[in-house]
Amino acid sequence: MIIGEQKPLEEIKAMTADHERILVLGCGTCVTVCFAGGEKEVGILASSLRMASKIDGEEKTINETTVQRQCEWEFLDEIQQQLESHDLVLSMACGIGVQAIAERFPEATVAPALNTTFLGLPEEQGLWTERCAACGECILHKTAGICPIARCAKSLLNGPCGGSQGGKCEIDPELACAWQLIYDRLKARGQLDRMLAIEPARDWSTGRDGGPRRLVREDLRLESHQHEEET
Amino acid sequence: MRAERRVEYAKGLLEEIGLGGDRLEMHFISSAMGREFAQLATEMTDRIRELGPSPLREGGSDG
Repeated sequence: MIIGEQKPLEEIKAMTADHERILVLGCGTCVTVCFAGGEKEVGILASSLRMASKIDGEEKTINETTVQRQCEWEFLDEIQQQLESHDLVLSMACGIGVQAIAERFPEATVAPALNTTFLGLPEEQGLWTERCAACGECILHKTAGICPIARCAKSLLNGPCGGSQGGKCEIDPELACAWQLIYDRLKARGQLDRMLAIEPARDWSTGRDGGPRRLVREDLRLESHQHEEET
Repeated sequence: MRAERRVEYAKGLLEEIGLGGDRLEMHFISSAMGREFAQLATEMTDRIRELGPSPLREGGSDG
């Protein structure tokens, strides 16, 4: 899932300073599951802002709502009227949700209440760690299901490097060495010979190095959209 | 104890909001600790008096 973390209240207050009617908008998907921007967090942030603005002697109206997914038009269309009666949408979604608001509602002013941190999972309650770099060319079948792109600090394709000590990465003693994990898992599965396979230099253009990415599935597209693109 | 960590989190929120984290405290007291309870209640009352009325209270009376 996409992991996010709320910005400090001071930073959020600065973004809301020039606005009178603010809609705190949550998202019911990834950021709900990671306790960053769901209905509950929307309630806490909206209450915090109401109290803070009253203490600061300001007359702000702060309303709150949460949609199932801020990254899909149909869920955003449900709140169009509500949006129009506010002069700032304070989005508690990931960066995709914030941009979806800006794109769907050109008149709206939108600000991010979260920092979108990474694609990962909860290792345990209250601890999230990165798992995927969305590099566009998955090699997990070669690396025992452990991603060296996302989990090795150097994104080495042929690891480990010389900085791995006691199974930990040299950049952070809390960080497991991805190549140690790969080695251990291959060993346990009797596949250590795979460590000897050389992974050639990869084409990074499928990742961020190739610029913003686009995925088209012609089998799913609606004819009206295809025509729009052709013209 | 998780409740203790959650109280710490709530104190942080109160501080960020500007209400003051010192307005909230958590203590562990059993039903057999009457004297300690009374002492902590007195200390908390004194602290709240010192902090003054809630900044959210309109008119700022000290009730």
